[in-house]
Amino acid sequence: MNVLLLIAAAFYSIAVLHSILTLLRKRRILVSVSLGSLSIGLIFHTASILGRGMSASRFPLVGMQEAFSFLAWAIVVYYLIAYSLYRVQALSSFLFPLIFIWTLIAAFLPAPQDAPATIRGEWNTWLFPVHTTLILFSYASFFVMFVAGVMYLIQEREIKLKRFGLMFFRLPSLDTCDDISYKSLTIGFVLLTLGIITGMIWGSQRDGRLWHNDPKEIIAAATWLIYLLVMHYRLTAGWRGRRAALLAIAGFALIIFSLVGARYLGGYHAF
Amino acid sequence: MSIIVVGLSHKTAPVEIRERLAFSNNQIHTALRELVDGRELSEGLIISTCNRVEVVSNAEVAPQQAFNRVSRFLYDYHRLPQASIDNYLYCHSEQSAVKHVFRVASSLDSMVVGEPQILGQVKDAYDMAVEAGTVGRILNQVMQRAFTVAKRIRAETNIASSAVSVSYVAVELANKIFEDLRGKTVFLLGAGEMSELAAKHLLNSGASRMMIATRTFEKAQQLAAEFNAEAVDFVERQQRLSDADIVICSTGAERYVLNPEDIRRALDIRRNRPILIVDISVPRNIDPAIGRLDNVYLFDIDDLQAVVQANLKEREREAAVAESIIDSEVTKLFSRLQAIDIGPTIAALKQHLNDLAVAEFERNRKKLGPLTPEQEQAIRAMLSSITNKVAHPMITHLRESTENGSYSVDVWRKMYHLDEKK
Repeated sequence: MNVLLLIAAAFYSIAVLHSILTLLRKRRILVSVSLGSLSIGLIFHTASILGRGMSASRFPLVGMQEAFSFLAWAIVVYYLIAYSLYRVQALSSFLFPLIFIWTLIAAFLPAPQDAPATIRGEWNTWLFPVHTTLILFSYASFFVMFVAGVMYLIQEREIKLKRFGLMFFRLPSLDTCDDISYKSLTIGFVLLTLGIITGMIWGSQRDGRLWHNDPKEIIAAATWLIYLLVMHYRLTAGWRGRRAALLAIAGFALIIFSLVGARYLGGYHAF
Repeated sequence: MSIIVVGLSHKTAPVEIRERLAFSNNQIHTALRELVDGRELSEGLIISTCNRVEVVSNAEVAPQQAFNRVSRFLYDYHRLPQASIDNYLYCHSEQSAVKHVFRVASSLDSMVVGEPQILGQVKDAYDMAVEAGTVGRILNQVMQRAFTVAKRIRAETNIASSAVSVSYVAVELANKIFEDLRGKTVFLLGAGEMSELAAKHLLNSGASRMMIATRTFEKAQQLAAEFNAEAVDFVERQQRLSDADIVICSTGAERYVLNPEDIRRALDIRRNRPILIVDISVPRNIDPAIGRLDNVYLFDIDDLQAVVQANLKEREREAAVAESIIDSEVTKLFSRLQAIDIGPTIAALKQHLNDLAVAEFERNRKKLGPLTPEQEQAIRAMLSSITNKVAHPMITHLRESTENGSYSVDVWRKMYHLDEKK
């Protein structure tokens, strides 16, 4: 049980509470408290990751616990950057609860005991942190795209069914949801591409082969293909709005599977 | 000091009664001067709109007496028999009066909660009263606070942010689909009051371009000149559809003027950028099957009404929030009013007594003979000490009495003529 992460999660929960309250009442102070506690939580979260890295004397991205923790951290960083640039408060009510749950899970997962053979010793090059960071930040991006997609679908449903309840009033416009979706798709795709490339380079440094038919590699390729499709059809055939949202959900499901399930399929990427 | 409100509104009186008490802008100046005679009422303000007449004043007498004074004035000024419309008048005093003023300014008492005009009307009434010289310390505090509270409520609640008229709803829907109306094109199919109004609102909210197509081309050209828009031949409406982001339709035709195939084609050309179609016509001019297509959002007149209803409900929910904001503001203001009123009075009282003592000293100085500086200082100190001791019980009484009522402050001010010029 990771104490620092628990503290971070506690602060995130305050952020969640306030961001949900903004659905009911639009007071400026709710937004400030929400962002404030998110930021404080981030400090503890960062401390937890750094601590982990120092105690294991390596980059802390091995195993499910560290991956979860890093992913949640990446999402928070991503959101704060997006907020400072675009002031998108809209996502918070949906994004924060998920960040909180992620962090909580990470706080309770057992930390990996030992670095697996594949990244010990001379293979512990700079490519390892770069590859994993790129991949996880791309996941964070696709996660935001997923949330934007869900929001789009809900709002579209409200408008189509002529239902004008709480959600209709508080959700942002369709264009905004779609815009966030598109921007995070682009960023995520670029990061994923770079991440896969660095991963292949790193892998080939070890045994000369770019591709190992490893489950995680296959899933990563599949994920990359899905998002490539989304990008392509968005640009050419105008697959926006609903279709993009549904694909975002599919792509994200694959990412979750890659994070959680791939280890059970064996292969050398199994951590 | 006691703040009172006497008046009537659409909630208590029908228009035939309200119009009998209405003041025109020209009349308000003289009316206020007549009303605020400095005897019973020291400050006053009149708000007169088509939905209400309110007289807000600061009275020097007990509320009941003040109410009588104001209603007598209203009857006299409008030459109505005394007490003839008493049933329609309401009276508020003290905190309930301040609360009423806050509620009115924040549009919570309006026919449509959240309407934007009332705040401007109340501000105008305030300005006119200031010009007439009938606004003093107390009303100034109350009204300035009312404006701040109204602003706060508009910012922190949603009572004013949703559309409650059908033509505004089109704008609201457009905002929920397109974040920004800038760069968007409105296509007016057919003319008509409601559709033109909706188009106007859309243009005001940022829409950049407009196309108009009516069944007679001359009419389209006429309207286009008015709106600085482009006139389109009615038969070309399907081709031009792809240029439109928002379509407002009210042609009075007997059959559908647009069908699903037209929309699909337009969407293809637009690469699925969404289209909002508002069909205000009865019978409907747009095939409802279109509503089932992706990236098209179709609303008929019933749907728009449903939005209005939903918004009204939302406003009611928000009004509850606004009421609690107002309650806390009233309490805050009231304790401030009680407090600020003593300060100047106490200072003035002390000053007055001090002046008295010093004046007596100066007057009788000769009889005391030559004085050394120490003696003079000792005498002044003694005078100061006496006046403080005399003033002390008065000041304590003042402070205590403001907790329960407020008349003593003005009693003291009168007793010592603190408000008169020397």
